[in-house]
Amino acid sequence: MTWVRQLLAIDRRIIFLLVGAGAALPLLFPLNLPVAVTPRVRAAYDAIDALPPGSKVLLSMDYEPDIMAELFPMSVAVLRHCFRKHVQVIAMTLYPAGTGLGERAISTAAKAEGAVLNRDYAWLGYKSGFQVVMIGIGENLRGMYPVDFYGTPLDSIPVTRHVNSYAQLQMVINLSGSSAADYWIQFAQGRYHAPLVIGCTAVMATDYYPYLSSKQLLGLIGGMKGAAEYERLIDTFGDARRGMDAQSLVHLIVVGLVIVGNAALFISKRSGGDGGGPASGSMTR
Amino acid sequence: MVRSGFVTPELDTRWFDPARLNVLIGILLFTAFLVVNIFRARAKGTLYVRPIAGLKALDEAIGRATEMGRPVLYVPGLSDMSEVGTFAAITICARLAYRVAEMGCDIDVPCYDPVVMTVLDGAVREAYSKAGKPDAFRPGCVHYVSAQQMAYVAAVNGFMLRELPAANIYMGSFYAESLLLAETGARTGAIQIAGTDKVTQLPFFVCACDYTLLGEELFAASAYLGREPIQLATVIAQDWAKALAAAAIVGALVLSALGHPALQTWLKVA
Amino acid sequence: MRRGPLLLTFLSGAAIAALFFIPHYRAQAANSMLLEWTLVVYAFALILGSISLWNSHARKVRNRAEGWGFSVVTLVSLLAITALGVWKGVGEGTPVDWIYNTVNSPLASTMFALLAFVIASAAFRAFRARSVEATLLLVTAIVMMIGRVSIGELISHRLPGITEWLLDVPNLAAKRAIAIGVGLGAVSTALKIILGIERSYLGRS
Repeated sequence: MTWVRQLLAIDRRIIFLLVGAGAALPLLFPLNLPVAVTPRVRAAYDAIDALPPGSKVLLSMDYEPDIMAELFPMSVAVLRHCFRKHVQVIAMTLYPAGTGLGERAISTAAKAEGAVLNRDYAWLGYKSGFQVVMIGIGENLRGMYPVDFYGTPLDSIPVTRHVNSYAQLQMVINLSGSSAADYWIQFAQGRYHAPLVIGCTAVMATDYYPYLSSKQLLGLIGGMKGAAEYERLIDTFGDARRGMDAQSLVHLIVVGLVIVGNAALFISKRSGGDGGGPASGSMTR
Repeated sequence: MVRSGFVTPELDTRWFDPARLNVLIGILLFTAFLVVNIFRARAKGTLYVRPIAGLKALDEAIGRATEMGRPVLYVPGLSDMSEVGTFAAITICARLAYRVAEMGCDIDVPCYDPVVMTVLDGAVREAYSKAGKPDAFRPGCVHYVSAQQMAYVAAVNGFMLRELPAANIYMGSFYAESLLLAETGARTGAIQIAGTDKVTQLPFFVCACDYTLLGEELFAASAYLGREPIQLATVIAQDWAKALAAAAIVGALVLSALGHPALQTWLKVA
Repeated sequence: MRRGPLLLTFLSGAAIAALFFIPHYRAQAANSMLLEWTLVVYAFALILGSISLWNSHARKVRNRAEGWGFSVVTLVSLLAITALGVWKGVGEGTPVDWIYNTVNSPLASTMFALLAFVIASAAFRAFRARSVEATLLLVTAIVMMIGRVSIGELISHRLPGITEWLLDVPNLAAKRAIAIGVGLGAVSTALKIILGIERSYLGRS
């Protein structure tokens, strides 16, 4: 049947159009769908929530604009939680283009929670070299960062004055979309035994499940869904919860397409066809 | 001047970390397996390694490219020399380039990392010489593109759409770009073979490629392609180590269930 | 002769491996220093990369190869960014920083955003119930896609739990098995390189 073959070999631009509409519409007309909290995100929330006021955490926001849709709302949510609990944050990034994003995340959260620079948080900015920086912090923070992003010596900043290595930090939080997370586990947790919470993109999340079972991670926030769960836990409605509406609709569209494709395949087979277009592991040659 | 109040951490003066004894024993055992199998290979002259479909298809891919008069595109992953996956990508590229030179088709190797580019350039050049066709080597076939992930993807996708390579081979460490590359390659109708040690990216390659080397198969590939007994011995040593790991896991599980968690505790890496 | 590079590989590989077991502060300081050296080596390697990029695109322009106009854009951009970087620096507020944030970053974000579209297209083509295994994969994918988003909870309150189980049990079991294989493969490759069994990286296949 011609229409079945046409459906199986559908122009991918039609698929793109459907996905584009599915992503855009809920952002214009929010659906406010519910978000269920998973144990991994709950564990991350509980670990931060249990920190006594005045505790110090190192937050490394290691991402660039390409994955900010997932990690920026996560950064804001985590920072807001810290500020709300009066946990002092020493923030940094290992990506050059992460400087602007990190600063924006901090100012957004600080504005929402009334946090003040140098009293509630310090912003160290960007430093290159994953392992070198992580080991450097373990040995001598001032060797890596003699001054903060704005040029103030760390000794003059109340938040950093008594901190010179992981030993003086109650927790390390890494939000990243790259192998930076592996290095934080290897060095900050593995070598210096710093309590560690990781936030990463959804695709990466399952890579870190074994570290949760082995207790090398206290919690894991995965992708926009994880960020949305965190927003729910701190009772805010941010970009992640808004984004989950779009993600839900796009997932439904993809599921719909897969079902339609399989129905067409079934009809094609019954009418003696070969199933039309190529499938997994058998591209046209 | 405000005085620092931080405490200097105590300096570690130990020359061995006993918590890592388990790793040391593991590595020594692995090395022993390697040595034993190298001696076995030398004595026997050959060793059996199961066929890997994706690697058998490499010849088909090169043959197809030769027939069509189109190039083979080899993408060596987006990592630097600190990733073992990159070394695997280099060794596979060298062996692939040898076959490409023998069959007389063209190869294009866009690189993400300048050091990897330099190494690959030498390896491909050497492969052409070894195949007896040093003059057929095209300077610039191994070239640098960009150390930025998405800029690299844009350039390689553009190459695929303009040059329409007959075969796209992706070997090494890949990240979010895997599907962007493989899906564009699928659109051009090229035969696609992928292999990566990044488990997260495997589903994407499985969806969009004709053949995919799963995890460790990437590391076995160079030995398989070379068919040299010593190289094959390393694959067998790997299998022995895997059997030992499986036995240790089962043993630890059973002993823990019986109330003796000592082995499980000992196996943990500090 | 390749004895020199092979010996250097053996000594540096063995030293780095040994440093993993030596927690002594002096050994760790040496480890940090070696890591810093790699950064310096990479900085110089970028010069090689830039030369290769220049040669590759200049050749295309000279030969008027298909799409040579793009090569002109690449060459002009390479020259302009390098000149601006040398002249005005690369720190916050410099022209290079401005170009990075306003041109490079949005372009990278756009490329990454295409992933959503190609995932949909790949899923449509790949998820076909052609065999028992493919049907299992298809059903699991549908459960995951619905169960992992907010709408899944509306359809059935059990769906999120099912997806969590799929991720925690079958997924993690398979992943660990592959990861063990990858780990052993990596160790095997590293040993082959340190012991000089594998030499392709020296330009010898």
